[in-house]
Amino acid sequence: MEKYAKRIRQKTAFAEVKRFRYAYIMILPAVVLTLMFSYFPLAGIIIAFKNFNFETVLSDPNIIKAIINSEWVGLGNFIQVFRQPQMLDAIKNTLIYGFTNLVIGFPFPIILALLFNELNNLKFKKVVQTVSYMPHFLSWISVIGLCYSFLAAEGPINDLLVKLFGTDFQYSDPLMDSKYFLPIIFTTNIWKNVGWSSVVFLASIAGIDQTLYEAADVDGCGKFRRVINITIPCISETIIIVFIMSAGQLVNTNFEQVYGFQNVFTQEKTEVINTLVYRQGIENGEYGLATAFGLAQGIANIALVLGANALSKRLSGSSIW
Amino acid sequence: MKKSKSEIIFNVCNILFMIFLCFVTIYPFLNQLAISFNDGMDSTMGGITIFPRKFTLENYKGVLTNPSLKGALTISVLRVVIATVLSLLVTYAAAYGLTRKGLPFRRGLTLLLMIPSYISAGVIPIYLMLRTYHLINSFWVYILPGLFLFYNMIIIRSFLQSIPDSLEESAKLDGANDIQIMFKIAMPLSLPVLATVALWVSVQNWNDWTTTLMYVTDKNLYPLQYLMMRLIKESETAQEMALQITMNKGLDEVSQPTSQSITAATLMITTIPIILVYPFLQKYFVTGVTLGAVKE
Repeated sequence: MEKYAKRIRQKTAFAEVKRFRYAYIMILPAVVLTLMFSYFPLAGIIIAFKNFNFETVLSDPNIIKAIINSEWVGLGNFIQVFRQPQMLDAIKNTLIYGFTNLVIGFPFPIILALLFNELNNLKFKKVVQTVSYMPHFLSWISVIGLCYSFLAAEGPINDLLVKLFGTDFQYSDPLMDSKYFLPIIFTTNIWKNVGWSSVVFLASIAGIDQTLYEAADVDGCGKFRRVINITIPCISETIIIVFIMSAGQLVNTNFEQVYGFQNVFTQEKTEVINTLVYRQGIENGEYGLATAFGLAQGIANIALVLGANALSKRLSGSSIW
Repeated sequence: MKKSKSEIIFNVCNILFMIFLCFVTIYPFLNQLAISFNDGMDSTMGGITIFPRKFTLENYKGVLTNPSLKGALTISVLRVVIATVLSLLVTYAAAYGLTRKGLPFRRGLTLLLMIPSYISAGVIPIYLMLRTYHLINSFWVYILPGLFLFYNMIIIRSFLQSIPDSLEESAKLDGANDIQIMFKIAMPLSLPVLATVALWVSVQNWNDWTTTLMYVTDKNLYPLQYLMMRLIKESETAQEMALQITMNKGLDEVSQPTSQSITAATLMITTIPIILVYPFLQKYFVTGVTLGAVKE
């Protein structure tokens, strides 16, 4: 009896799957691509624990075999990462850039969204929004190109400074000096993304119940107090969620931006984890070492997201899961 | 409603700030546009604002007749077209398949597709994997790895969930299978979301240059953005190209394009397509973002 029931269940399950065969065929390409390009390389992470570099690859062109046959070094690569001053500097820079963008940069899009919301002329509002979103859609390298040209000796900034301080003003291009690297990274990041990042806050503001404002009007509440007492508390959940997401990016510097802005004058002092992984791994062929470095970054990344999430759950009850 | 004095002051300041914001955003473009239309040698003296001082088309002519730039433009366009078409097909089909009612293993499959958007193997394991697939220095390295994106699928999926399924059911009664229904009925109804995702994918592909930096060394496969990166970052590359153009054209030294004007013209060629289409498509982009934000 039991056996019979089981067979029926199996049969119906099989019939169900067969009934949906076309749906499975449709999902198949996505699954195959995901397995090939996202899951399969995860196995490659083991080279972080192996002595594996371009020489190993040269000795055996079959990479999978080479990985299996290469020598285990345990945590050797990780120990080496934390012994190299260059890598320690990269970790320091990554944290400095990440914290500056997160802590100082975070309020900008919120303030911009609040200001957008106070514009009464809808047509003007739309034009300003359209303009402010635009830089987001350019590649970082275009933004960097604009910046190089803008700050060049023959560029508008120097023209302005000459007008202000006279022709004997000594101008030196800030892009050639690592001292100015952080302010430039920070400013261009705001310039490119502040408008676009405000979209999610604007959507959140648009969702606020209008009767709250009407009630406040009846109570004789001024414009500024309405923002402080209604708008900000109502969008606080969105603010927290966006903050958690950005906190996860703390150790994940934008490779395109940093690599793009580096040049021979600044590169040595401005390396971050991402750029060093690229240089050590792809340029120098130190595959095992670079993977260990990247893996350490990835783990820190996940830990930060989980940490920020747990913290916000505790403080306010909102979480991304 | 009567406005208090402080409110009026605030409104005026707010409008002034917005005008300043627009100015700061647009001015660098207009300046670069002016440089790209200005005589190269003349630009080196500085003082260009938003109008060219000595108008010329030589920079653009030079750039557009340069063989390596023409090749890069072809690669960029090919890549955008192929990647967008294939990516839409794969992503849409997956979203459509996953929204079939009563599909067994739906949760498991969704989870399988979702996990990679949180966990990545990292640059080096991916590089080694691409080597085993023989995708290093192949055109397909631009297309295949990014073909399926979970985020785009979520956007399509939430759109599909909003279409009533009575239409599909009647087609089913007529004996059409899921694949036929998808192409003939669901896709024509999904044009708005398809447009949104197509735009995302094409902008991403047009803008990408790191794939080339990491996985491609074959000069014939350089896209426009990568070539521009080289022009911006390596002054020798830019100077070499300016010299090439001058020699080809047989121009005299006075009116030759400089590395600066060549870079400016290239930059305009790469950004203008985006700037031109962007205002019309902005609506779709914004819907995409807010939709994703609600759903996640």
